[in-house]
Amino acid sequence: MAAAAATVTGPSAGASGVRSIFSTMDYGPAPESPSLVLAWLDKQGSTLGHFVNGKWLKPEGQEPVTCRDPCSGELLASCLQADDGFVALAVDVAGRALEAWSPLPGAARAQHLLRLAETLRRHQKLLWTLEAMASGRVVREVRDGDLPLAQQLLQYHASWAQTQEQALSGWEPVGVVAVVLPPAFSFIEMMWRICPALAVGCTVVVFGGPASLSALLVAQLSEEAGLPPGVLNVVMGTAPPETLLPGLPGVAKVAFSGPVQEGKALRRALAGSGADLSLSLGTESLLVVTDTADLDSAVEGVVDAAWSDRSPGGLRLLVQLSAYEEMLWKLETRLRRVRQGRSLDWAVDMGTRGPAAWERAQSYVQEAQSQGAQIFQDGSTPPQSPFFPPTLVLGLAPASPCAQAEVPWPLVTVFPFRTAKEALAMSNGTPRGGSASVWSERLTLGLDLAYKLLMGTVWINAHGLKDAAAPVGGCKENGSAWHGGPDGLYEYLHPVGIPPRPQGPPQLLDYDKFGLSAPPVLPSGTSPASATAPYGVFVAGRFQNPSSRSSRPVLGSGGRICAHVAEGGAKDIREAVEAAHKAAAAWASRVPGSRASALWALADAVSQRSQELAEQLVEVTGSDLADTRTEVVLSIARLRAWGAQVHAQGAGLHSAGPHGPFLRLREALGVLAIVCPEGAAPARLCVSHRPGLGLGQRHRRGAQRGLPAAGSPALPGHGRPAPPRAGERGDGRPRSSHPLPGPSSGRPCPVVLRLCSGTPVPARTPALFSVPLVEATAGPGSPKALPAPH
Amino acid sequence: MSAQNQEIAFDITWISNVQVNQPAVLRRAEQIQTRRTVKKDWQAAWLLKAVTFIDLTTLSGDDTSSNVRRLCYKAKYPIREDLLKALNMQDKGITTAAVCVYPARVSDAVKALKDAGCDIPVASVATGFPAGQTHLKTRLDEIRLAVEDGAKEIDVVINRSLVLAGQWKALYDEICEFRKACGDAHLKTILATGELGSLTNIYRASMVAMMAGSDFIKTSTGKETVNATFPVAIVMVRAIRDFYWKTGKKIGFKPAGGIRTAKDSLAWLSLIKEELGDDWLKPELFRIGASTLLSDIERQIYHHVTGRYAAYHDLPMA
Repeated sequence: MAAAAATVTGPSAGASGVRSIFSTMDYGPAPESPSLVLAWLDKQGSTLGHFVNGKWLKPEGQEPVTCRDPCSGELLASCLQADDGFVALAVDVAGRALEAWSPLPGAARAQHLLRLAETLRRHQKLLWTLEAMASGRVVREVRDGDLPLAQQLLQYHASWAQTQEQALSGWEPVGVVAVVLPPAFSFIEMMWRICPALAVGCTVVVFGGPASLSALLVAQLSEEAGLPPGVLNVVMGTAPPETLLPGLPGVAKVAFSGPVQEGKALRRALAGSGADLSLSLGTESLLVVTDTADLDSAVEGVVDAAWSDRSPGGLRLLVQLSAYEEMLWKLETRLRRVRQGRSLDWAVDMGTRGPAAWERAQSYVQEAQSQGAQIFQDGSTPPQSPFFPPTLVLGLAPASPCAQAEVPWPLVTVFPFRTAKEALAMSNGTPRGGSASVWSERLTLGLDLAYKLLMGTVWINAHGLKDAAAPVGGCKENGSAWHGGPDGLYEYLHPVGIPPRPQGPPQLLDYDKFGLSAPPVLPSGTSPASATAPYGVFVAGRFQNPSSRSSRPVLGSGGRICAHVAEGGAKDIREAVEAAHKAAAAWASRVPGSRASALWALADAVSQRSQELAEQLVEVTGSDLADTRTEVVLSIARLRAWGAQVHAQGAGLHSAGPHGPFLRLREALGVLAIVCPEGAAPARLCVSHRPGLGLGQRHRRGAQRGLPAAGSPALPGHGRPAPPRAGERGDGRPRSSHPLPGPSSGRPCPVVLRLCSGTPVPARTPALFSVPLVEATAGPGSPKALPAPH
Repeated sequence: MSAQNQEIAFDITWISNVQVNQPAVLRRAEQIQTRRTVKKDWQAAWLLKAVTFIDLTTLSGDDTSSNVRRLCYKAKYPIREDLLKALNMQDKGITTAAVCVYPARVSDAVKALKDAGCDIPVASVATGFPAGQTHLKTRLDEIRLAVEDGAKEIDVVINRSLVLAGQWKALYDEICEFRKACGDAHLKTILATGELGSLTNIYRASMVAMMAGSDFIKTSTGKETVNATFPVAIVMVRAIRDFYWKTGKKIGFKPAGGIRTAKDSLAWLSLIKEELGDDWLKPELFRIGASTLLSDIERQIYHHVTGRYAAYHDLPMA
């Protein structure tokens, strides 16, 4: 051996290379081989089909679309684009698979998930290489981030499936779930959704684009793992989901992830289709650095949030003025050390997300520059490169138009702030409500900021940590879908025994005319049978003259006028909303016991007048007196029951994984608007709107804070009132393990009646209530995941 | 060797506001170890570079002039000549950065290196190494005697009790005394980070040591239970970076203790390159205190050149 070594000729052809590297100390390439992926693609033939019903399908006549490696531009494969008919077929397949899959014992589904986990582990190299090549994200992030998380998700949800009969009794799977994937992060985003859906017994149709080749591979592997055909289907296409999904009666739920505009379009399109919709929109996140932060660690937080392939989007960075200069210096230093390159290189931090993402970043930079911002980049990226370098945008004022737009990846827009209060005003004053992190070594300050940020998810002294057991979600324009933890599970469940949702176009008010002109009402000469209510609209605790100063008759069942009520108008609504906003904070901050007393007092008041109430209802609706009495009694019972539940449930400190504990909070939504449908009887109105008050507030909140329902104009300064829509139900999270009594469906929801007037809600008047809601009845609110600092 | 660092006035504000977030630093440490793979020629070049950073060390109770002499020759010839030739690196003068011994062995090392015909500096530990629990007067005498014997670098240990009691000014004063006692020799200050209690204390001790004129700050003696770890290193190099930002002075960094494999050394080099930059990748500003690391590097170089792993008898012992 020594002799052999003495005459070394060695494999080191690049001896001169060693010499020069020794002096420059540069990094070299560390490539992962694409051969496995190329072999897999080769085996599928020239065109990848769809994976439906446990097999590859390549129907004739569908336009192929090319899938390219965003880093090199090389052609990877052609994919077919599903048309309407094929999507319907896939949904139908999933619907038929549901019949066998959902009645399976939870333990059997748990075994299926564990086998899928095992199969993914067996083919992990193919999976990470394919995902890296198709998405342009670096292979290290996929291998070290996505794959372990996917394993954890499968394990976690298998545990839920195993104990489903005990832990989730009273709940059943919603049905067929359509999952629409975003172009980046498609593999892990798919896992966040399919794991809970499959675990609870839903079947899934995944809609992927050309960057989601890994979705096809997962579906193929699920077949290998023995998942029954049709339980997990993947359909490829580039058509926007709002054109494909409506009109598919088999879809019970659509889980969409993507840009805000597309989410809004989908919400409009799905209204009335009967399908639930959960949206996780937008990619921007927020990072608040106080002067009590560990600045170097905060800089790494910025890297996690924007300058890496862990980050979904750009970053709005707020830095306290007293730490601003030092933070900028550290950021600029750190920015130069981020390495960009081909996604298959193991020593690279960032790849690229394709030409469209590049264009978005570039146009933001140009616009920011034209509005007086300074741009800081490393400057070593050659022109024509497919890689967009990490970028700092400085000196953009919040009022400049560019600062309103969503910051694209991999940009960081920096704003200085003076005080913590100002930081809160700056961050809460945007429509974003996704995720944020707060950096301070002071426990009180960090927690205080985290509580007060209007964000779905807030990390303290960390950014972007994920754990299968810790729910992550958003609010405001980022949509209200939750992933992970029990909250993620209830996205795919509803209480047992819910009747099928009515379908067809939602009852829409003509908002263009609503409240602007009162219909002419002339004295009819007949005296109403019951004229107990004072004249006026009830706002801020008293009866006021309506802006119209006119009345409208309330017709009874026999066509007889049974009352005249004040005709409300747009101005009344505005005042009512204002009054509700004024009252909201005080009401929400009352101790729970005091809110419970108020609700019980209300129940007592109803109870004392229950006879009168029932008679009035019969008069207006013409329904049977005994039935109506039962309805009133149940309403009172429910009011009491919800009063008893003012203490927020499910909130508290939880431990999850190695990252430390997280705190899950439930918040009151604030002001709710309810539009009563034409012709609905009061108590039934309350019944039909129970989800709006009990479970659906998160949707409503989305509606109110920037995701308007179709066709409803904004009320100045108050967001928009959103009518409850057929396509929009509560997120179905449990308020209690025992559903409360209800007249028909047994859904656990509260009832709110307007009783102070002594008159039920007029039958033909669109009435709009502004009810600052009790915390406990305000729906699950926003869990916030916050790993504690130590 | 670059010119010596001189002490600057003690400024408590440089350390009083600083907080280090431990979980965040641990996360960064986890990342940084894996993110910069170097392969093939790059790996060979980086390993050879690592050799030039090594303070080849023997700090044992049974050290004698004979094994110190062996060590010195290994410092002069760290990699077998034919391997260097195969890499066309034989004329680069690759030696370790220094030889590090106890004060009583300094004269042996100086003589051996003189015999070997090279000017590798001899570093001596001092000031009651490793515990530092002796009187200040004897600690200072120890430095002076080692310098008289020909040590060009003095690795002092700090008085941990001053850190744990928060007596930063007293710590500063002590290190300033060490600085004076060193005369022309370089001062490398060992923080014994395993015994300082928190990352925040490590940052503060680093800053105080630099203000007091240390040329290097060094993680540990190798005798504590916890030695050179990545989280500790991240905090120390960030302190070095902050000091550079405030004063324009570049201070060196020396991790020591527990660095045994070639793979470890690559991770340390990439840590320095990432957190401090290429400027710090030279022996004047970066050292690795190690005794067995060199033989593993030599084995890896052997493998790179021949495609085979060396048997233990193939490579000359230190």
